Amino acid sequence: MTFKTLIAAGLAALLSTTAIAPVLAQPINENPLSDPRVRKAIAYALDMETIVETIFEGQAVRAVGMLPDGPNKPTDLIRYDYDPDKARALLAEAGWDSSRVLDVVYYYTDQATADLMAAMQAYLADVGISMNYRLVEGDVASQISVVPDDPVNGPSKVTWDMLYGARAALALQEYFNRYAYGLKPMIPNIPRMNELVAKVNGTTDPEVQREGYFEMEHIINENVYQIPLYYQQLYTYESDRLDRNGAPYGNEQYNYNWGVENWTIAPDASGKAVMYTNAGPSQFFEVPWQNLGIWVANKFAFDTILEADGALTPIGGEMAESYSVSEDGLTFTFTLKDGLTWHDGSPITADDVIWSIGAATKFPVTQPVLQATMKKIEGADAFIKGEAETLSGVSAEGNTITIKFARLDPNVLLSFSQFAPLPSKQFEGVDPVTLQQAAFWQKPIGSGPFKIDEVVMNDYTTLVPFEGYHKGTPKIEQIIARPSSDNDGNLLVNAQAGRADFGYTKAAGDVPGLEALAYMNVYPVDIPYTRMLWINQFPHPTR
Amino acid sequence: MSINQTPTDQTRIHTPAPRRRTRLDAQFDRIRAREEAGLARSGSGSRAVRKFLNNRLAVFGLVVFSIILLASILAPILTPYDPNRINLRAILQPPSWEHWFGTDRTGRDLFARVLYGGRISILVGLGSALLAAIIGVLIGVYSGYVGGWLDALAMRVSEIVMAFPQIILVLLLVSILGQSLVNLMLIFTLTGWAGIYRMARARMLSIREEEYVLALRSFGLSRPLIAYKHMLPNALGPIMVNITLSTAAFILQEAGLSFLGLGVPLSIPTWGNILNVAQDIRVLQTAWWIWLPVGAVISLFVLSVNFIGDGLRDATDPSQQG
Amino acid sequence: MLTYIIRRILILIPMAFAICFLVYLGLELTPGDAVSHMINPDSAGSMDPAQLEALRQSLGLGQPFHVRFWAWFTNLMQGNFGYSMSGGVPIASIIATRLPATLELAAVALVFSTLVGSLLGVLSALKRGSKTDSALTVVGMLGVSIPEFFFGLVAIWVFALNLGWFPVGGRSMPGYVTFWDRLPHLVMPAMVLSIMLTAGVMRYARSSMLDALSRDFIKTARSKGLPEWRVNLLHGFRVALTPVVVLIGFRLPVLIGGSVIIEQVFQWPGIGNEFISAVRSQDYPVVMTIALLSVMAVLLASLIVDVLTAVIDPRVRLGD
Repeated sequence: MTFKTLIAAGLAALLSTTAIAPVLAQPINENPLSDPRVRKAIAYALDMETIVETIFEGQAVRAVGMLPDGPNKPTDLIRYDYDPDKARALLAEAGWDSSRVLDVVYYYTDQATADLMAAMQAYLADVGISMNYRLVEGDVASQISVVPDDPVNGPSKVTWDMLYGARAALALQEYFNRYAYGLKPMIPNIPRMNELVAKVNGTTDPEVQREGYFEMEHIINENVYQIPLYYQQLYTYESDRLDRNGAPYGNEQYNYNWGVENWTIAPDASGKAVMYTNAGPSQFFEVPWQNLGIWVANKFAFDTILEADGALTPIGGEMAESYSVSEDGLTFTFTLKDGLTWHDGSPITADDVIWSIGAATKFPVTQPVLQATMKKIEGADAFIKGEAETLSGVSAEGNTITIKFARLDPNVLLSFSQFAPLPSKQFEGVDPVTLQQAAFWQKPIGSGPFKIDEVVMNDYTTLVPFEGYHKGTPKIEQIIARPSSDNDGNLLVNAQAGRADFGYTKAAGDVPGLEALAYMNVYPVDIPYTRMLWINQFPHPTR
Repeated sequence: MSINQTPTDQTRIHTPAPRRRTRLDAQFDRIRAREEAGLARSGSGSRAVRKFLNNRLAVFGLVVFSIILLASILAPILTPYDPNRINLRAILQPPSWEHWFGTDRTGRDLFARVLYGGRISILVGLGSALLAAIIGVLIGVYSGYVGGWLDALAMRVSEIVMAFPQIILVLLLVSILGQSLVNLMLIFTLTGWAGIYRMARARMLSIREEEYVLALRSFGLSRPLIAYKHMLPNALGPIMVNITLSTAAFILQEAGLSFLGLGVPLSIPTWGNILNVAQDIRVLQTAWWIWLPVGAVISLFVLSVNFIGDGLRDATDPSQQG
Repeated sequence: MLTYIIRRILILIPMAFAICFLVYLGLELTPGDAVSHMINPDSAGSMDPAQLEALRQSLGLGQPFHVRFWAWFTNLMQGNFGYSMSGGVPIASIIATRLPATLELAAVALVFSTLVGSLLGVLSALKRGSKTDSALTVVGMLGVSIPEFFFGLVAIWVFALNLGWFPVGGRSMPGYVTFWDRLPHLVMPAMVLSIMLTAGVMRYARSSMLDALSRDFIKTARSKGLPEWRVNLLHGFRVALTPVVVLIGFRLPVLIGGSVIIEQVFQWPGIGNEFISAVRSQDYPVVMTIALLSVMAVLLASLIVDVLTAVIDPRVRLGD
């Protein structure tokens, strides 16, 4: 390499950074964390490679950039590899006041998080930054996500300096949507990001979206507005009794073409083909619109309108026989298959679907991507406010339902591949706002391959095949789901006792234990889930 | 409650019949003179100490207690490790010459964590017990002697506090006040004062009618002065017993709450926080050195405090024999 | 006697009301409510605050404090515990499904600890001053000094994880019908819960047996030439056992407190387990009801004990 090319490369690098976003190496307000040098120092101070390898036992991927690896992420991001000397130099340059103690908060209660906090404390101490960490409890949402009255100058309403949290995305827009004006509790407004958020949400063209993602990634990466730490994988585990018969693997937290009706399992001693799993209910079944596929019992019991593959790309209809989107992307039409019934035998009608779309629009904790889609339907505002009895944009003719959107939504097909209609007759007199409080959720009536049979809250739930399921009666004779959260503390124990045939975990700590069992197979699945540090760059009162 | 009022407290009054003086009587007079001059207290004190020291379990308790307490205080001398210093290249190491209790999931030295953790755990236990005792005694002694609306109010409040199973009340208060070291001590104090208040009050009620109190009152001494200066010392024995026993109880509760993740924030090492990881079944199964030694230390410490409390009770309370 | 009981009950009523009020007030002061717990923190910022506010209103969370308290309290008086906020389940049905598990655990622990505790206590008293006596004293002390969850951990480690004799936790599985099916799940939590109780009963049985042995009628029986074992068995035991039975009433707070932690360690689906998760999710009505029920249970138990003591032993004066 000649001297000339070096200079050229250097210049090019310099030009490219300045062209995208000039990095002002100074604080923008009295909070020293508004100084990009301090934030960079923090990024350099954390040895994420080692942390991933030890605390997470190699069951995570060190993050460079917000988005997981894939075509939508630029490959030339700054890596911020562990470099404590550089961190110290940056802090010295920024005039870091070493008497300041950073207040770091987190809300996960698992052991690995506590370990990570201890490690962060030690790494930061090593470069001269003191920090304390604490678990936020009670009203977590208001402690981490309330936005300041003045999104440019602050002060922030959240009181912490750094938050350890995550972005879990169904659609990639979710990674960046909060960079829109006035939605960030901790980062002063960045005008260019506002435009880019609008850009990726206002098109269905993947090329245009990609341009937007690239530019946003660069802006965040160069200014260290937040520090992505690692990409979480998801691990599907299966005992060797279970045979998927070729069905694909995918992001188990959502609905995809897992072909559960074709799965088979070796019969137990009594000759019955029983499959054990977890994530059963302890008090009630959750409405399937809130956490789309986390509760596996809901996934067994409810079908969705469309079907997605393992990477959550819509690939066809599930309850829908056929579907189409108009040229301008503002009209979505689908026709239900003939002869669909609920588990109680009553027919699934267009009215059920229309009621469900309306209820999901009003239900306050509908999954954000799904809700964003629903809220763009014509007449949604008036419907939510109670000014209109029905959603004017939704209509039906026989089994064909037409939905008209007031604004373009990039995720219509995705949303409907995750949307499970409910039997409207069961909800007469129920306000969709308090849908979760309905008695229905003690033992739901679904539409999926398995119907809920016996429910002993907090002990177990059993499911049995739904005779006459439209894709064929399932072959597994009984499913037994133990109650647990999606982070099942008793997973290993039950796996050892042979009471875990299928499920998934995001707790990296479980994986070595599961893999150690001869009869257990573990499949890592890449999912869009990034754990990161949010840095409060507004002026704010310290604790 | 009434279960404590067993009828064994009856005292018989002997009225000596007039008879001829002997050498023994002269001796007795000298003793009485000493007693009246106020010199006898040290004598009775040393009798209690002797009695305490004759109780082998109590002495064992005192020794263990002192060892663990001193080890915690002298932690920087006893171990070169910083309890928060991680070493990700040396995680989950079993006990060795280098790390006596092994290392945890982030490579922190567990021996150092147990020593430093002891400081906080003992502080929480002893500190809360003392605070609770101070509040309970202040109110109990005064209201027991003086009575009045304060007595009535304190009595009602203490009834309410004591109606709760302790852990339920503590959990309620934790969820209300939030998690921090100071809050935890505050909560223990709030839930712990009632017992010692009732005890101090009951003692005062019984001492109130004794002659020396009546005499002091006739001298015109102010009521608080009589209560705190002259009556309180006569109730010190049971108060000390109560403080030791509540120390033991609070240390157990801190450990239990921290184990549930509802106690002291995890960034501060305490015995309970070290044990917190044992909720992870894999740690429980494969890394016994993380939770077994610290559990043993908690148990040993609480045991020693209980032995001390028992010994104190035997030494200071003449009605409790055997 | 009857007036005494009535008087005691009359005192209980304002106290219960005060406790209801204080607990409700306390929960009012906690940040957050049931709605904020329905939100997954990972997507907290993406929810529409206006719609969440609508949910709050629908659940009656927007009304002033005294209105909600009074509504709750009057419902309670009519025997309606209200509904869990997170899932809308009637609290009475939560209690009804959880209580049997807790009672099962408590009953086994009580029976076991009473039998073993009084047996060991009496033995200790009979062999007063012997090696057995001091060994038992130390064992009893260990029982109250070792944290019960630590006992639980050791039990799980040894008997479930290493020996595989018992399941790690839970109570029942599909296909379980009788108590005997559940027994393997019950053994460890019940035994661990018994330990602290046993130590208390043992201590008490020992001192009341000693008390009984020094009474005159025992001396009389002995002087009559009755064999020693018959003296001990017939008279001493019977007399010593009465206070032990009374003591059981006082063990109730210990039992409730213990089961909260033990149920958590062993994932036993009882009231204590429900209480912790309700505290964590700030489901006020559930927290309130369970706290209140436990207080009522304790107050009633102490009332019963007081009455029993008065019946058994007239020397105990009533009242203050």
